[in-house]
Amino acid sequence: MKVKRWKLATFLLPCLLLFGLIYLIPLIMVIVSSFFEWKAGGVFNFVGLQNYINAFTNDPRMARALINTGIWVLLQSTVHVGIGTVIAFMLSRKLRGWKVLRTIYMIPNVVSAAALGVIFLNVFNPKYGIINSFVSAITGAPFEKNWFFEQNSAFMTVTWSWLLYTGMIIIVVLAGILAIPEDIIEAARIDGATEMQINLKVRLPLIRTVLGTGVILAATSMLREFELIYLTTNGGPGDTTLNLPLYLYKTSMTDNNYGYANMMGVVLIVAGIIAVQAINKLFRMNESDY
Amino acid sequence: MKIKKLLALSLASIMALGVLTGCGGNQDAQGGSSAEGGSGDVVEISFPTHWVGVSVTTEWFQDRLAAFNEQYGDQIKVNVEEIAGDQNYVDKMKVLYSSDSLPDVINTGGYNLIDSMKDQLVDLTPYVDDELRTHGTDLCWETNSRDGKIYGIPFTRQVIGYFYNKDLFAQAGIEKPAETWDEFFEQCDKLLAAGITPLSMGTADSGWVTSLWLGAMIASNDAGEEFMNTIQPKDYNTPEFIDAATKIQQMFQKYTTSDAVGGAYENAASNFYMEETAMIANGPWMISDFYDTSLVEEGFADKIGTAMFPGGVMYNSGKIGFNIASKDEEKLQATLTFVDFLTSEESQVKMLEMTGETPAMEGVSSDNVKPLVNEVINNGDNATRCINDFQSLWYANVVDEISVQYPLLAQGEITPEQFAQALTDAAAKN
Repeated sequence: MKVKRWKLATFLLPCLLLFGLIYLIPLIMVIVSSFFEWKAGGVFNFVGLQNYINAFTNDPRMARALINTGIWVLLQSTVHVGIGTVIAFMLSRKLRGWKVLRTIYMIPNVVSAAALGVIFLNVFNPKYGIINSFVSAITGAPFEKNWFFEQNSAFMTVTWSWLLYTGMIIIVVLAGILAIPEDIIEAARIDGATEMQINLKVRLPLIRTVLGTGVILAATSMLREFELIYLTTNGGPGDTTLNLPLYLYKTSMTDNNYGYANMMGVVLIVAGIIAVQAINKLFRMNESDY
Repeated sequence: MKIKKLLALSLASIMALGVLTGCGGNQDAQGGSSAEGGSGDVVEISFPTHWVGVSVTTEWFQDRLAAFNEQYGDQIKVNVEEIAGDQNYVDKMKVLYSSDSLPDVINTGGYNLIDSMKDQLVDLTPYVDDELRTHGTDLCWETNSRDGKIYGIPFTRQVIGYFYNKDLFAQAGIEKPAETWDEFFEQCDKLLAAGITPLSMGTADSGWVTSLWLGAMIASNDAGEEFMNTIQPKDYNTPEFIDAATKIQQMFQKYTTSDAVGGAYENAASNFYMEETAMIANGPWMISDFYDTSLVEEGFADKIGTAMFPGGVMYNSGKIGFNIASKDEEKLQATLTFVDFLTSEESQVKMLEMTGETPAMEGVSSDNVKPLVNEVINNGDNATRCINDFQSLWYANVVDEISVQYPLLAQGEITPEQFAQALTDAAAKN
């Protein structure tokens, strides 16, 4: 049945209008203003690529923010997804209590970032935090490591506050594993494959696109990560835990340098597009196996 | 079937129209009050405030708003928007500023937005008559003025020294607060020797209590005092600043609690309330907590003394008051009436009684305040050197930079010179 164009347009109009007003126009404004020196006090001058040149040649903090963001994207795409996948495979055996475990793993994903920030600050508190208390109890000696605010542990501690909490990956991968047709697994068993071989050589390749989705979710979540860092270390000590979204926020809100902040916004968008395209290609997301 | 299709198309069209009118409606709301408030009608003004929830000023504001509504409710309607947390409030104002939609009345609680937003704030100079001028001392008006133009109407002063625990001092054999910084550090050593942690400090949220010590030490001489009264200093590489940063580093490493690095004001205050530390720098608004038995033990306030910083230094300055950004004359007049009411002598006395904040007016006092409040105000009046606080004067990004640099300074990862340079670099971004 052929649908008339004007009818299609009418049905699409509300979404297109919302998209245009909420995303497209601001996006265009962000891109355009990234080529301007735009500061509080009415300063608005065209500077061409100067913001970009400054960022990549003359701004050590930008370099640090980019490196940190890159490391976190990589860790999240590999370690985080890896842990989630292993747990999903374990849960897929549906041993006793698997549903309870799956729910427990989801808890950090349903707690607000603000609450998580406060929880982690307390857990890692040098004076009364549970980690230090535990070490003190074992060693019998006072232990007052300031996990979030010592330069040698801050990055690791911030990373710790999201790396292990793989609830979302578990849900996605588990759904993928459970959707594999049972006859394929049955055929592998008849051919004499062990459970490990079935997992590695049958199930894992068959959930390739699901894994790709998980990696995209994990990678893009790190390109957007803001609240937990802001609420715990605020990017410090120094710029040890600064990432691009937080630097963007500070540049806009405390430096009042909107043009430079929007340049970072553009960099983030480009990084996101590159990451998604690369992951799509790596996991051959457009091809289906069954 | 045809009716269904027609219905679906109509709904889609209505949704599209809704999107458009929704956006249009917002603009009406922005500028609509003056249309609504034509002559003889109620004029609506907007006032976002962080005086909500647990803020010590909430009760005062509710009281004053009720009194204002009773007196002017038939002429002026104040649309109050509640924003929890002064930092969130400042951030919201910055967003509104970037879209040229600041509200009619702004009060940041001390943060200086005048310098970054004065192009959108009303120059109040022609509206400040002799009566209104009595609402604050010359010093208070000076804090709210730039290049001879008034951008804020003051209602409180900033008077800050430090509080000390007399019992803990006595245990360490200390009879009275130090008069010089050398004596101060000797007292810290005595406290340590008695098993008492001398100082409450913190680094989060601009490291408020720590930065108060820092500022007081900077102001040890004339040059330092001048620095601490300079609006938005650009260069922190001064001998006074570096010397003070050196002492702060020493204080972090030797004289404070293990949770000071990374700790917020609440942690520092809690350590003082639990008598784990002997001294904390802060203003008189903290005094009401000394009597709050949900925070401290019964009789805690009796153990507390007030002191000037060594060298007779006190934070005793004007404070950023109410800024106005009304877009038309009618709303401006209504806003001025509201601000005039909130800054009146009656309101300032109530502020003193209910929050312990020092009135901007000279000679305002009350018998209904805690004795410690009057002690702090007296210390302010008798100080040898009066300085302004860093949050009011320094660039916002410098204040933010302090939070992330303090941990490095505390742990010896950077030198005091590098600390000064980091703040100088931050200031240069403005």
